[in-house]
This record gives sequence, C-alpha cells and structure tokens, in this order.
Amino acid sequence: MDMRPQPGEPGVFHVIDGDRPLDWERVYRDHVASIYRLLYLKVGNQHDAEDLTSQVFLEALPRLRSSASGGEVHTYLVMTARTTLAGHWRRRLGVQVTTIDENLVSAEGPAPAAADPLPRIRRILAKLPPNYRRVLELRFLERCSVGETATRMGISAGNARVVQYRALQRAAVLGQEVGA
Amino acid sequence: MNRRIRRVSRWVDDLLHDRSPRRFGGAEEDAEVLAAAIELQGASPGAGLPDPQFVESLRQRIARETQGEVPMSARVSRRTLLAGGGLAVATAAAGVVIGDRLASPSTAQKELLPVGATWTAVARLSDVPVGTARTFDTGSVRGFVVNRGGAIAALSGVCTHLGCLLQLNATARRLDCPCHSAAFGFDGSVLFKHMPDALPPLPQLESRVREGQIEVLTV
Repeated sequence: MDMRPQPGEPGVFHVIDGDRPLDWERVYRDHVASIYRLLYLKVGNQHDAEDLTSQVFLEALPRLRSSASGGEVHTYLVMTARTTLAGHWRRRLGVQVTTIDENLVSAEGPAPAAADPLPRIRRILAKLPPNYRRVLELRFLERCSVGETATRMGISAGNARVVQYRALQRAAVLGQEVGA
Repeated sequence: MNRRIRRVSRWVDDLLHDRSPRRFGGAEEDAEVLAAAIELQGASPGAGLPDPQFVESLRQRIARETQGEVPMSARVSRRTLLAGGGLAVATAAAGVVIGDRLASPSTAQKELLPVGATWTAVARLSDVPVGTARTFDTGSVRGFVVNRGGAIAALSGVCTHLGCLLQLNATARRLDCPCHSAAFGFDGSVLFKHMPDALPPLPQLESRVREGQIEVLTV
C-alpha cells in the first residue's frame, strides 16, 4: 500500500507499508518529565510550564520518525521547546526574558539547563548582602507573602517590595558573575 | 520607579502562586529582574516535577488531537519527506535532517535513492548552461539542478541544518540558507556557515538527461 501525497494536500503523508509506526506513547513517557522541567526552569510557574509542554509535544510528535534514536528525539523536542519558549515571551512580554541555549540543542541526553539549579542559587544567595538574601529566602524558599516577609524582617510591606526588587536586581548581576 | 517595583512584586506573587504572571508593558527594562525571579523559583519544593494529573491529561489530549495523524506521519520515510509541498516539506524535513545530522556527523555526501519512484522532467537542458543552476519544484520534490562543466546533477533544496528551504543565489553561484546564514556550492558542499554544528553537504537526488530534458527521480 504505497500511497502518494495527494495534490493539494501538502504535508499530508500517507502510509508506507513496512515502516513501523512511531511509538509516541513511549516517546512521550520517556521525555515529558525532562521537557516539562526544562520549561519550568525557564518560566518559573506550573501554569505556563504545562501550557508550553503541551505545545511542544503536540507540535513535535507528528513530525518524528519512528527510526529516530533517543538522542535525536530529545534534540528535536528541546529544539521545539526552544522556539515555543521564544514565542511565549514574544507574545507575553515582548522581550526574551529567558532562552534555551542553542548549544544545548545538539547535546545528547538531558540538557545542562535542566541540571539541578540549587547549587547555583545557593552561590548567588551567599554573595548577597544579608537583607537582600533574607528577603529572597523568605519569599522563594519559605514561600512567605509580602506581608509575612515584612513582618519577619520588621519592615513595612512597601519596604519589603523595594528590598525584594533591589535584591532581584543584584541577584541578576551576581547570576552573570557566578556562571553556570 | 514605584510603578516598576509594584508590578515586579505582583509578577513575583503570580510566580510564587504558580499562576501565569500577567502581562505588562515595558517589561524589557526589568527583563533581568524577572529572569532572576524565575531562576529562584527553581529552588521551590518540587520545582520542575510535572503533576501526574497533567501528564495523564496531556497524554489523552495527544491521543485525541492527533488521532490517526501521529501514527500516520510517523511512518514518514526519507522518501515521503521529500514528498509533499513547500513549507510542509521544510518543516517536516527538519526532523529527518536533524536525525541525519546526528546519526552521521560525517561530511560524506549522501545519495538519496527512492524506491518505486518515477522520472520527472524538471528543466530543459538548454535552460541550464554550464556553471548555472535552476530551482525546480515538482510538487513532491523541491531542489536544484546544476550544470557543473557539462555534468548535470540535482541537489536537495532543503538545508541540512534545520531544514529551511534554500534560495538560489545565481550571482554568487551558490545556494543560500535564509535561516542561519549558511551557503552551499553547486556541488552541494558547504561554502560557509555561522553555526557551531557540523553541517553536512546537500544530498544529491538521482538525475539524468533524456531527450534534452533533465529528469529527477521522484516518488
């Protein structure tokens, strides 16, 4: 059963006898966690990470060959994640807040970006002045609200927002110095 | 300044509640601050672990939305990837080309040999003088026929990097990739590239000359 692409139906591919169908459930199962994690670390919230992960798989799965190796599949998914993330920021804020490094795309196995982010975060926090470190620890590690953070630091809520903003600015600069 | 502080604070609140942060204008001045907040979110408990409920519901959604489509196009072979038209070829071929790139980083030029294919006339020999090339599109295959010192050859029209469609640059006598500023010569070899990845030469398509017509083997 060798069917040719029908005229006027670009991109619609027909069954070629002898080729195995892609085991998309296996591909999905093997990669969903790593792609979700990669995207979560780039958007920082569950809602967007789920949305983007869905987009990546719905777009990439129909294009994968059944003969693609695990490394090839991973690379294609990461590349799709990269363009999906870029589109997300373009639509959302008009600026690429975070990106997936193009160099990661050709890397085999889990992308370095998906490595444990904690050691780097600890190094950044350790370099911050005490009140900056404190505000970020209370907010991001202890999950305190602005009100609770202010109370525990003995400052006003407005002041806590200012300290948080300055601390994030400083963390951004330190993040570049600390390196991966 | 207060406005910036307030809206970044709101944005961080959304992040900490795992909500999609709301949009705001002028974000570029605080892009690095937002990126720092995102990075710190990586320290939250269970960060980056997908909710099992989400994993299952997406699995069901894929099964539903790509019903028939996934198994069908997943059976795409190299041959059928060359089939189809225009953009679809470029995007679909991206997958196969990447595969090739990783599977065989060697710079040896490959030959595509379709099975059960037919010869299709794509240009008159007299229209392709020595040292020139012509774009062709049979509706199922897109590529270039080139005349190298009287020897006719046909090359794939899809860049071996990420599958973009190449453009004929007749003046410079090369095939340009509009995506990442790479170019191939009329022999399919890489003339230059601006990406760190290895870039294999363009695959050749089977071609022949019959009764003054250049023909290419297509499916």
